[in-house]
Amino acid sequence: MTHILLIEDDAGTANEIALELAGHGYAVTHRILVSEGLAVARGDAVDLLILDRQLPDGEGLDVIERLRAEGRRTPALVLSALGSLDDRVRGLRAGGDDYLAKPFALVELVARVQALLRRPNETRDTRLIAGPLDLDLLAGTATRAGRALDLLPRELKLLDYLVRRPGRIVTRSMLLQDVWGYTFEPNSNVVDVHLGRLRRKVDANGEPQLIRNVRGRGYVFDPSV
Amino acid sequence: MWRWGGAIAALLVIQSIVLAGLFWLLATGSHQREAERGFAQDCRELAHLAPAMRSAELREMLAHDIHRDRFLALFAHDGRLIDGNVAHLPEGTSLTGSFLATVEPTELPGKDSDVARLRLCGMPDGTLLLTGLDLDDAEEALRTVERSLILGLIPGLLLAIGFGLVAGRRAATQVDAVRGLTERIVAGDLEGRLPVGDRPDSFGLLCAHMNAMLDRIQSLVVDVRGVGDDIAHQLRTPLTRLRARLERGLREADDIDSFQTTADVALEEIDQLLGIVAALLRIRELGDHARRSRFAPVDLAKLAEDACELHRPTAEDRGIDLTCLIEAVEPVEGDASLLVEAMSNLIDNAMKFGPPRGRVTLSLAREGASAVVTVADDGPGVPRAERSLVTQRFYRGRHDCEGAGLGLSLVKAIADLHGFTLRFAEQGSAVSLVGPNSKD
Repeated sequence: MTHILLIEDDAGTANEIALELAGHGYAVTHRILVSEGLAVARGDAVDLLILDRQLPDGEGLDVIERLRAEGRRTPALVLSALGSLDDRVRGLRAGGDDYLAKPFALVELVARVQALLRRPNETRDTRLIAGPLDLDLLAGTATRAGRALDLLPRELKLLDYLVRRPGRIVTRSMLLQDVWGYTFEPNSNVVDVHLGRLRRKVDANGEPQLIRNVRGRGYVFDPSV
Repeated sequence: MWRWGGAIAALLVIQSIVLAGLFWLLATGSHQREAERGFAQDCRELAHLAPAMRSAELREMLAHDIHRDRFLALFAHDGRLIDGNVAHLPEGTSLTGSFLATVEPTELPGKDSDVARLRLCGMPDGTLLLTGLDLDDAEEALRTVERSLILGLIPGLLLAIGFGLVAGRRAATQVDAVRGLTERIVAGDLEGRLPVGDRPDSFGLLCAHMNAMLDRIQSLVVDVRGVGDDIAHQLRTPLTRLRARLERGLREADDIDSFQTTADVALEEIDQLLGIVAALLRIRELGDHARRSRFAPVDLAKLAEDACELHRPTAEDRGIDLTCLIEAVEPVEGDASLLVEAMSNLIDNAMKFGPPRGRVTLSLAREGASAVVTVADDGPGVPRAERSLVTQRFYRGRHDCEGAGLGLSLVKAIADLHGFTLRFAEQGSAVSLVGPNSKD
């Protein structure tokens, strides 16, 4: 079972995070202080760290820096109520692998956790086959069960991104960040409209849905249906 | 501050004394040099004459001395007077250079000794020529110089002290004004300003700068107070609505599905509220200009294309014709995500506030040495009277559309951070981000 160490001093937030992660099948250990967190993290059983920046006995980033100095590469997700601009950079520079500004949606947190725990299928193949889908990235074409999908270049990139992350929640901010390359929260649902078009092309004519909408703001690609 | 006045006065005093002293030294020095030049000429002229002619020439020269301040005498080798107006050679004379000595004049009635600057030179036939200048006249002249210097010095000194006092007093008044103002500010009163004259000196200019700084601080403080009030007000309305909706939903829901719907709607509204909070935080953060450290050269053409591409499906769904006219421009220093966000906000606004099923155009063009991003729709644009208001937080030109009224505030904050200007067209709806002059 995947073991997540959560270092967070707000009991309410910690409880919600722990319950949500447990609901997705993760074992969660919760600690409040930097010192306690470090002690747990030095045990080898931790697969992922989630830590708050401002803790009662210090700065959460110190935990990451200390662990990195000891040669531990445990992936870390930094949470912060501080602003999202420069703190994000500081968090990543300190050795954090991803950064989430409070307040965040739980689905966003789960998506980031999944992304950190399982690296995407980074195969350099230009041909991806998942269930009935067949993507030819070189030719820029995709088919579903032999039916050609008339995809725009961006739609193909989106599908490529989803296909490499089967069964995992992908949020629209992740898509904007990874597929378009920009980190901001659009004030309208422009990304969802792109996804909506892709879904209509992929899941047409009453076929089983390969791309599902997840309550809140995420999508899951599930080739097994 | 009196010390300053004193220092200025002392400086002026020292300056006058040094000047007077220098003048005195130069005056005495030049008098001596002039006398010596005269002596040398006498020696030269008389040496050229035949011995027999010398007495006659000497007499001629004495006859021309109408001031009767010359001494000229020719002595034999043994010191005997041959001719002239000096009784005998003074004691301890030498043949090198001029010297001061007492002589016994023979032709000045009632005077049997006189101090003179003298020179003794040998003539070719072995006789000695004594040539000299009575110092009485010279000393009189020098005393006049001295007197006039002292006379000039006294009013100079008085002036210096007076000026010092005035300058010191002026500086003290100025510092008192600044101190009084800072005390008022510390006490919480931001209304006070320093007086600035019509034609300000450098201190006046400094005062003007401080006043400008105070204006800025005051407007920031008003802003902060205003934002605090705004946030409370802006959040209270949707929170009240949300609360009512939840209450009614829970009361009226009689199956899982309707509970679910209630919760979904509530979640969506909460996300919107959180979005407002996040946007406010970002505007605040952008304002403190800390993000510039991450600037890198960015290609506005690519960003404009991406912004268009990002919005195209949404535009098509709404039947809006989104056109992008993109010219190549020089790279600008900036943050790609922020610039795309600004363009995205402008496109969003144009699609929201322009006429339904109309046309929205994003163009990137060069204007002189600046890159200009312009977004326009078919509508009338922001009414002139509201243009200064639309970039204020929570200002909403129209209340028939959703949104918290933060979009243009954010665009403005991003523009400010990048040194871009947000410009509204004279006519129509065009809103532009005008880049800094790339040649600067």
